[in-house]
Amino acid sequence: MRSRTLALFLGITIATCTSGAAADDLYVICSAGVVLQPSEIRNVFIGEKAFAGSAKLVPADNSAAQAAFLEKVLKLDAVKYAGLWTKKSFRDGANPPPVKSSDAEAIAFVKSTAGGCSYVTSIPAGVTPIAKF
Amino acid sequence: MFNQFSFHARAFALGALLGSASLPAVAADSQADELAKIKQELNQSIQMIKALAARVQELEAKQAQAPSASAPAAAAPSIVQGPRPPQPDTARLDAVEQKVTEIETMNATRHTDDTGLPMHGFADMGIGNHNPFHPNEEGTYLNNIDFYLTPQIGGRFLSLFEMNFEVDHAGNFGVDIERGQLGYQFSDAATLWIGRFHTPYGFVNTAMHHGVWINDSLRRPGFLMFEDQGGILPAHTVGAWVTGALRGDGGKVLYDVFYGNGQQIISGYIDMRSGGNDHGKPIYGGRLGYQWTAGAAEGLTVGVHAFESRIDDDQTPEGLTEIKVYGGYAVYDTDTWEHMVEVYFFNNLDVFPSNGVHKSKAYYAQFGYRAPWIVPYVRYERATLDQTDNYFSAQVTGGSYYRSAAGFRYDFNTKAAFKFELANTHYTDRTVGQINEILGDISIRF
Repeated sequence: MRSRTLALFLGITIATCTSGAAADDLYVICSAGVVLQPSEIRNVFIGEKAFAGSAKLVPADNSAAQAAFLEKVLKLDAVKYAGLWTKKSFRDGANPPPVKSSDAEAIAFVKSTAGGCSYVTSIPAGVTPIAKF
Repeated sequence: MFNQFSFHARAFALGALLGSASLPAVAADSQADELAKIKQELNQSIQMIKALAARVQELEAKQAQAPSASAPAAAAPSIVQGPRPPQPDTARLDAVEQKVTEIETMNATRHTDDTGLPMHGFADMGIGNHNPFHPNEEGTYLNNIDFYLTPQIGGRFLSLFEMNFEVDHAGNFGVDIERGQLGYQFSDAATLWIGRFHTPYGFVNTAMHHGVWINDSLRRPGFLMFEDQGGILPAHTVGAWVTGALRGDGGKVLYDVFYGNGQQIISGYIDMRSGGNDHGKPIYGGRLGYQWTAGAAEGLTVGVHAFESRIDDDQTPEGLTEIKVYGGYAVYDTDTWEHMVEVYFFNNLDVFPSNGVHKSKAYYAQFGYRAPWIVPYVRYERATLDQTDNYFSAQVTGGSYYRSAAGFRYDFNTKAAFKFELANTHYTDRTVGQINEILGDISIRF
């Protein structure tokens, strides 16, 4: 049994390495009822879009995937992202997204917060991703 | 044994098929070479699997023989003959797992800024042959320490409080609630604020507040300074303000409408009447702009503004002026450039004493380049103010002037900046003369 499992595992591993499958995909997740287009996600996390329909959005960063998210989705580096929220906070009274420390925390936040949105590195159980990057 | 190897080969092939579903298409010319390479790797993998399978069978056989070989030595300790390890308490495991999930959920929904009093702010101090905010003073100066709070009060409600500990023109230390706003977000297109806010005209008055660190330049244009630093406009209003943006493809329309207590000139400076005014007259106005958010013009914002008010003073007899101010602004703000232009036209009516209508204007243009390690800028500003207009003559800093300035901003890190400015200021009516300014300022945020 163990040898069969080992063979299957080796096969998948070797094929995955040679196929070039992306190991750093990002999945944006939101709480039930939130409808967003992928093109709107950037505006949510830079404070330019606070509502999806009548739902107040509550974005949260995920430190486990933040570097990739900043690069792929926001097209900002960490310094500019922090500066953007400093100005937005000082000018508009907005608060930057809270930072969760893992995929599990991000998922739990989205499940328990109306309007919650975050991003994770693997397809989560119990939450349907609204976009993949 | 052959059937086992066949199964292993089939398992391997299945794994290869599953994982290679995303194999990119290869050019026809290199396909044959690629296939040969893959075939060679597969053969090597199969040989490795055969060897591993043989080793596993050998170990399983030895393990199967081990209990019968050690049976006669019943007194010696034996892994096979030892007592069975206790079965895990599944009920306890379930309880622990549930507890971990609860802790994870609690941590996930905990908002870090709900604990204690989250506070941020700015501070700055500097040195120069003139105080940049009060030119009659020179030397080292402490400008301000400016705290701001944005308490989260839930739902669609917003709040912002800016408390400024500052040194005034007389060198006295004072505290102001520069901004005290409570807001309600109806949608992305409309937020209602009530309280004390920065009057929405032009650009810098709502983009740059009392934290000097926010500005790239060392200071605001002179005529746009805050009321207690020589500005000639009502930079603060106490009242209500509706603001928002209507977003479309490639840009957004920005709008502001406000209404509040009409200001008063007290002891030569504009007072925003935070506790109400005694003449019951309001200030009201608005601003309309368009900002490009994509395309070749991304970062460009243009707009117009206008407001009216009836402003009296504390003289005897009391003067009253109906001010009408209108103008426009243009800002180009990108990662590389920071350019801004604002213009203000005054069409003021002296109600008492009745001295008729007076026209004045003020404008500035600033150009900055955001280099990787420094932000140099140049600025020209000019205020041509009719001194027979009671609104300007009643103000200590209501005289006409023009100024040329050049400076730079250098960031030590993301929270501390040094600014330097050279400026030449000409006063053209009340006092005719000029001063040259050499100014340095260190500003921080926290």
